[in-house]
Amino acid sequence: MYILTCFKVVPDLDKLSGSSWTIDDQLNIETAFVSKMINPYDESALEIALQLSDQITTSGTTAELSAITIGNSQADLYLKSLRALGYKKACRINCSIDLRFNPEYIAALIGAYIKQNNPCDLILMGRQSGEGDNAKTPFITAEIIGWPCIADVLKVDYISPKLISVTNLTDNGILRQTVKLPCLLAVGNAPNSHLRVPTLKTIKTVGNEPARVIEDKNLIKFVKPGQKINGAKLLGLELIDHTRQGIIIEGNSAEEKALLLYNNYLKGWLADNGL
Amino acid sequence: MALTRENIVEGLEEIVGQEQVITDEAVLRESSVDRFRRFEELHGVFTQPIPAAVVYVHTTEETAAVLKFANDNMINIVPRTGHTATEGGLETIAENSVVVDGSAMNKIIKIDTYNMQATCQCGTPLQVLEDQLREKGFTTGHSPQSKPLAQMGGLVATRSIGQFSTLYGGIEDMVVGLEAVFPNGKITKIKNVPRRAAGPDIRHVVIGNEGALCFITEVTVKIYKYMPENNILLGYTLDNMKTGFEILREVMVNGYKPSVARLYDPEDGAYHFSHFADGKCVIIFMAEGPEKISAATAEAIEAIVAKYDECQKVDTRYIQTWFDHLNWDASNVAEERAEIVETKNIGNTTEISANWDIINSIYETCVERIRNEIPDMTLVGGHSSHSYINGTNLYFVHYYNVVDCKPEEEITKYHRPIKKIIVEETIKAGGSMCHHHGVGKHRTDWIRDEYDTSYYILETLKKSFDPKGIMNRGTIFPA
Repeated sequence: MYILTCFKVVPDLDKLSGSSWTIDDQLNIETAFVSKMINPYDESALEIALQLSDQITTSGTTAELSAITIGNSQADLYLKSLRALGYKKACRINCSIDLRFNPEYIAALIGAYIKQNNPCDLILMGRQSGEGDNAKTPFITAEIIGWPCIADVLKVDYISPKLISVTNLTDNGILRQTVKLPCLLAVGNAPNSHLRVPTLKTIKTVGNEPARVIEDKNLIKFVKPGQKINGAKLLGLELIDHTRQGIIIEGNSAEEKALLLYNNYLKGWLADNGL
Repeated sequence: MALTRENIVEGLEEIVGQEQVITDEAVLRESSVDRFRRFEELHGVFTQPIPAAVVYVHTTEETAAVLKFANDNMINIVPRTGHTATEGGLETIAENSVVVDGSAMNKIIKIDTYNMQATCQCGTPLQVLEDQLREKGFTTGHSPQSKPLAQMGGLVATRSIGQFSTLYGGIEDMVVGLEAVFPNGKITKIKNVPRRAAGPDIRHVVIGNEGALCFITEVTVKIYKYMPENNILLGYTLDNMKTGFEILREVMVNGYKPSVARLYDPEDGAYHFSHFADGKCVIIFMAEGPEKISAATAEAIEAIVAKYDECQKVDTRYIQTWFDHLNWDASNVAEERAEIVETKNIGNTTEISANWDIINSIYETCVERIRNEIPDMTLVGGHSSHSYINGTNLYFVHYYNVVDCKPEEEITKYHRPIKKIIVEETIKAGGSMCHHHGVGKHRTDWIRDEYDTSYYILETLKKSFDPKGIMNRGTIFPA
């Protein structure tokens, strides 16, 4: 089974204090000075692919894992780690344009990459990334390549070379279904999906071979004429004030504090809400 | 005859009341370990004897009564405040131990801005004290990574140190006076004076005792004016740790006192600074204090670093974002716990110190040996974060995947062999095996080698102050 996982390297926005937010003339938030990480949803997708690969190997068949990312050379360190973890092909599509609100362009590049002789039976990617929070790339990609797409995936299990079991979150609860490949999975808040860590020994076996890089312009030319490749135009950015007030309840015992909490805050709120 | 668990609980309840004696099984299990055994704990495996009770003391007198009860009945006492220990110091290795928790003694007794000292009870979280001081324009100058969680009693008991130590010193340089209770119930108070030459400095019997001699109930520390507007951050990448140590030495030997002076090797640097380190070492300074002193310190450091061609200055904003997220709070701990369980990858640290002439060879030897001898390593590196006129510390960082072993075998397969390499190489070279985490229960095998002939002094303290050996058995002194 050929499994392709798409991931994105993003700034760790938790490390950007509110007071450090600066916006330049091109409406970019300055994140160059913040440490980077794999987008957490993508990290889950990468780990789920490895777990699936483990299951396939245990069943006696073979899985070939590939990973692609779109961006600058900051992703190369992560590509090396992925190769050490068992991703046979790990490739970066070099791109310098602003992708924050352009899932159409990202999906077009992924679609073109697959068409360029990169066969796969299953594609995994995170449902969205913190930079643009568009949550559109999986759906647009599925549309471009004409595959079914399942959203908010939590778990994937191997059944046979052409069948997998997919557990995902729906509006009505958690659904487990048997899915025929090919298929694209948008991974959500998946439990037990922190990406495993390669050992120094396996990293050494990868060596210092540079990451495989493809220029976006060499891929975009394969996009079907008429296909939309431009996303939303960014007109402005505004910091949303998320500050909340807090009060520390003083009391001599837990019982006294609980009573104060109930009488002064909960009682009225419960009554207002008919509870 | 030894008391039963039930007798112990009854005795404690008579002293402090039922509400303050906790016998909930889950609490007792968690209280049998500290961060050293967190891999076992995260997998629900508890290999240490479960204590008979956790007692929350509210006053010094209660503490004295509890300790006397334990002393009279030969019950092992494990003193605790913030529960952030990393070296097994809080493990209850004796049957029917009692954990005495001082976290409810959390009042800030006095902030004296004229005499520049603050007095607080042992359970005062450092973060709370520091926040109150900063509101008034002062600081303790103490900033360990555990600041959001650690409490004053434990910080003094483990001889802790903070990230600004090169200017402010370790906790031993900050403590003016303190109150401690000894196992016979004796309450002792060391008064707060600038200095005295009336015999040996007895503060040092208490500071760093790790609960093996006494229970600290109150602490008075120096305070300083807080002037963050004068802080100047400097950061550089460089090729070699050896060069970095030379730079640190030159800064210290020439009399400059940056509050932060940190040198990261490429591996540890990649962990913290992957967005700019590019596989190199990283050296960071922060000049702090009155405006003119801060400016002069930064200028001098820049001049020293400029002599080394391999150093490339990095934009200060890289260092600022790192500086803004130095410490670990409860959410970091929770995140770490989830990652360990899911990835079976765990990281620990071992901190040592040594003089300038041997520090680099200790670093190189230990890193090479761990890489070659310990299986499944995912990161081996380290940094120097506290420098002195005669040497510096090294904070080894070691991560590994736990493979093919039970949770309770993780320590014997990985953690202790790594510690053994670092401790033995350091002592062999002439350094100290513990810089600021304390001995705990997992470096006691080497305590005699650490002290050599001076072990007589240390051992005599134990014999004198805890003749029945009821204080934190197996900590500092081998069980």
